[in-house]
Amino acid sequence: MEHGAGTLLELRAVSHFFGPRLVFRGIDLDLAPGEILLVIGPNGAGKSTLLHIMAGLLHPAAGSAYCRLEPGEIGYLGHGTFVYPLLTALENLSFWGRLYGLRPARETILALLDRVGLKAAALERAGTFSRGMAQRLSLARVLLINPKLLLLDEPATGLDTASRRLLDQEIVRAGERGAGVVWTSHDGLRDRRMADRLLVLEDKRAAFLGPVEDYDGWSGHA
Amino acid sequence: MPSFLVLAAKDLKLMLGLGLGLIQTVLLGLLIIFLFSLSLPIGETMTGQAAAALFWLASVFGLVLLFNALYHLEEPNNIRWGLLLAPVSPLSVFAGKALAGALLLFLAQMFFVVGLIVFLGQSLHGQWLWGLGLVLGVDIGLVILGSLLGALSQGQVARESLLSVILFPLLIPLLLGGVQLGGALLSGENLMDQSQWLILILAFNALFCAVALILFPLVFREG
Repeated sequence: MEHGAGTLLELRAVSHFFGPRLVFRGIDLDLAPGEILLVIGPNGAGKSTLLHIMAGLLHPAAGSAYCRLEPGEIGYLGHGTFVYPLLTALENLSFWGRLYGLRPARETILALLDRVGLKAAALERAGTFSRGMAQRLSLARVLLINPKLLLLDEPATGLDTASRRLLDQEIVRAGERGAGVVWTSHDGLRDRRMADRLLVLEDKRAAFLGPVEDYDGWSGHA
Repeated sequence: MPSFLVLAAKDLKLMLGLGLGLIQTVLLGLLIIFLFSLSLPIGETMTGQAAAALFWLASVFGLVLLFNALYHLEEPNNIRWGLLLAPVSPLSVFAGKALAGALLLFLAQMFFVVGLIVFLGQSLHGQWLWGLGLVLGVDIGLVILGSLLGALSQGQVARESLLSVILFPLLIPLLLGGVQLGGALLSGENLMDQSQWLILILAFNALFCAVALILFPLVFREG
């Protein structure tokens, strides 16, 4: 099968089931570098499942998912924070950095932790962190690896206002440096201003896929 | 640093630094050896073969504990997915876990050897190097299967029993070799006279290494 040269990600007629339950069917989607795609839909619509398929963590039951990127070029921030609870924040970032072949200096990691407001907790075990702190540490991990495709599964969960602002900045910055961003949100009304395109998952299908400004169903998401 | 060493170093830091797995392994193994020592009439010593069987029994129980603990490290917060997304081959995860498990098992076995000497009155008859070679040879097979099956049972509610039920029958040929050679060693016999058991151990290691290289990426991804 031919794949478009200018895309990071291509989904063709992707459907998925959990056991006998259809999650969604017939999703077609391309993602270009620098594009920010917002995915919204009710609980159980399959937003997270779709991201897992995009990340290659799940194989679609039908259809194809093609990602142009090399291993290690996808950053994922979601419900699972990938944080080792028994390592400190500093050790967590040092581990993930070395695993990605980066060998980050202690100062680099501390600067990152400072950026996400965790410098004071750098030497504390991540298992003692609140949900929001763990999410911020996970955000620092994603910033460290500087991915070409950023998959964000309700990344604002547990974040305070300052951290959400930081997350917003990083999403925009990722788009500006040419990374593709796919981002699921329960707060589409708020988040739509940063997105280029919108995918609405409803009734087990893509109910809308197009420029954000073309979508007129926001009243249902208020 | 190769990624399997990064993974092994992290595992060892957690397991040794926090006392996860190793202390329980040593205590369980020593308890097994001590309890069996109580079955001996006063003044009698156990045969070398029976003592070797106890040593490997303690090692296999320790193996289950260690690999459950090693794979449990990746269970919180979907860390396994983080490893799948990292630029790391699943075989590096396999090698990292196997290396960490081998070092921890070997450490525990040092205590078991002391247990054999103190509780069961055994002696290596000066064949320390042969003993070391035998332990390392059998340990390779143990950690290959431990790492493969540890990944298979990760995330399962009944992971301890699942790992034991699958692991123990598969290990029989390896343990048979280990017990025969260990028995010969503890009885002061020359191991070169038992070359068929050495061949069995080497063949087991080669076979299951090949099996693990093929199966582990699938098992770890789908686990």
